Amino acid sequence: MISRRLFLAAAALGALAAAPLEAQVTINVVTAGDQNMVDYITDFLAPQFEKLNPGVRVRASGTGPGDAGSQKIYEKLAAQQKAGTQSWDVDVAVVHQKMAGTMVQEKLLAAYRNAIETGKLVTRDTAKRALGADVDGYVLPMFHSQTALAYNPAMVSTPPKTYDELVAWVKANPKKFGYNGIKGGMSGVAFVVGWIYAYGGMTEKLLAGPYDSNAKNAWNPSLASLKEFNKNVTLTPGNAGTLDALNRGEIAMGPVWVDMFYTWVADGKLPPTLKLQILGPGMPGQPMYYVIPAKAAQAEVAKKFVAFATSPQIQAEGIVKRFNWYPGIDAEHVKPQLDEKTWSKLFSDVTPKDLSEKGKPFPLGSYFTDILEAYERKVAN
Amino acid sequence: MSEPQAASRAPARDAGGAAPGLLLLAPALLTVVAFFLYPLGYSLAGAFRAADGAWTLANFAKSFELYSRDIVFTVAIIGLSTLLIALFSVAIGGYLTLGENRTAVAILRWLYRWPLFIPFIVAGQLMRAFLARNGMLNNALMAMDVLDPADAQSFLDWRGIVIAFVWKQTPFVALLVAGAMATLDRSTIEAARNLGAGRLRILVEIVVPQVRTTLVVGLVLSFVTMMSVLSVPLMINAQSPTMITVDMAFRINAYGDYGVANALGFLSCALTGAVAWIYLRHGIRERSRQ
Repeated sequence: MISRRLFLAAAALGALAAAPLEAQVTINVVTAGDQNMVDYITDFLAPQFEKLNPGVRVRASGTGPGDAGSQKIYEKLAAQQKAGTQSWDVDVAVVHQKMAGTMVQEKLLAAYRNAIETGKLVTRDTAKRALGADVDGYVLPMFHSQTALAYNPAMVSTPPKTYDELVAWVKANPKKFGYNGIKGGMSGVAFVVGWIYAYGGMTEKLLAGPYDSNAKNAWNPSLASLKEFNKNVTLTPGNAGTLDALNRGEIAMGPVWVDMFYTWVADGKLPPTLKLQILGPGMPGQPMYYVIPAKAAQAEVAKKFVAFATSPQIQAEGIVKRFNWYPGIDAEHVKPQLDEKTWSKLFSDVTPKDLSEKGKPFPLGSYFTDILEAYERKVAN
Repeated sequence: MSEPQAASRAPARDAGGAAPGLLLLAPALLTVVAFFLYPLGYSLAGAFRAADGAWTLANFAKSFELYSRDIVFTVAIIGLSTLLIALFSVAIGGYLTLGENRTAVAILRWLYRWPLFIPFIVAGQLMRAFLARNGMLNNALMAMDVLDPADAQSFLDWRGIVIAFVWKQTPFVALLVAGAMATLDRSTIEAARNLGAGRLRILVEIVVPQVRTTLVVGLVLSFVTMMSVLSVPLMINAQSPTMITVDMAFRINAYGDYGVANALGFLSCALTGAVAWIYLRHGIRERSRQ
């Protein structure tokens, strides 16, 4: 009895002590991706947002890189949905495309995009479709990253503009084109996916579905030609391996992530004379999305946070200038916020027009898996 | 009240001798079971399961279909590395034991252990900058006019892996071998020397046979270590075939396919198991001789 009374008293005291803090609202922002994503929220977004909204605290945490990181966020939300919890402990999440589709289908997300101002500034169709899944209204792209062909103008005067031209060029200049296969990182994977877009003859189907498990048999000729092509290329160890080889002048060109490329140039790890362009008919890129869970405890503050994070000013300052990513909202809205130098750096080699014409999404998850395994079977084996 | 108590006291007294010992052992035993044996059994069993949980050999079929070249490559690379490690560690240990130039011996003794303190991933990164076509090695050779720039080639393939493994593991085996050599009875060496044997002959015919057990143990441990390295092949070797560890990581990261990854793990367990068996048999033979 005594202990119970004590407990009650302690609880009352606790409540009293907590009362003045009730004005304090904490939102939990959970992000997939590398540590730099968490740092971006903690060091850049949170201080500014907290300043604008007194009494609000932003708590950021990361779940790790790649689709596995998004998978963890999905599992967390799905578990709370299953348990019938009324308010979930994630207010804003940053996820990859593959998981966004699943999360929308399982009703884990709130349709918030049209409720906030910056939702109208989004133009790319990645805001509507994520790897074939309908996510319209549920997501806002935080940024787009894109793969492109980096080349050294000192070694190539007229760089190939399409995969066809690249094939001819590689034949004439053996071992001067390098990429990292499919086991050493996503820039090589993106190059292979672009190859299938160019020669597999079913790009629309790969992007929009429906999935057909027999489709992969139709890729055999294009994979055979890729095997032939590989004989004259230099295979590099990893995304960074391609950039290193470009830096040392061992190769004249290779596929890279645009943001990684510019970061390396800014750090002095690559000569600024190197240039970029997207090979036609297209090379893949991907966004990451801001999403708000269906039963986020602080949904209103969460909406404010996403609106702030996708405002032209923040997209210019944080996404473009700090990370060399392409903005999540339409670049035209971001342009007035940027100085000429930053804008021309990001958009002089690859124009917004190139991006919209040749910047393709990755294929549907199942096709994506099939492409990788077909490569292992027919090209690497 | 008192009767059941008495009944329960009796067996407790019987086990009294063993109980404290078991109690002391329990945390360690539980740790081994929970964090090693259980996950090991789980992944070994996982090699024989399909995604829906049914028992199957499909994972092995796929492993052999896609990765048989990689399995052969792995064994060949590690076999070659082990051989080179044996040669170099005997050479280093031999010079430390038989070398006559004291300064050279001192320098070698100080120098050869360095790679021991460098993690594999750092070794991988070092080799990546060192062995590239326009890397440090080739640049140095070109600067010395030993190598024509047009003939420069990249060593970032199977040769790079072998170089990294040998560089990293030789000191470990050399340390064991040199220790064993230092404890040898010098009189056998002196006797051979008095009879006019050269240093190489003394090393091959007198010293190495006496430290053979230590050498084999060191090599077996190196073999098992190298089987498990992911960073070096991932960072150095871009071509296919590649090593099993890279394929395992790829199955999980790209496909979420633990089945085939486990099957590949099972195969590498089998390979290291075979080597460990040689090691154990060797140990038993030694013991029975004593």
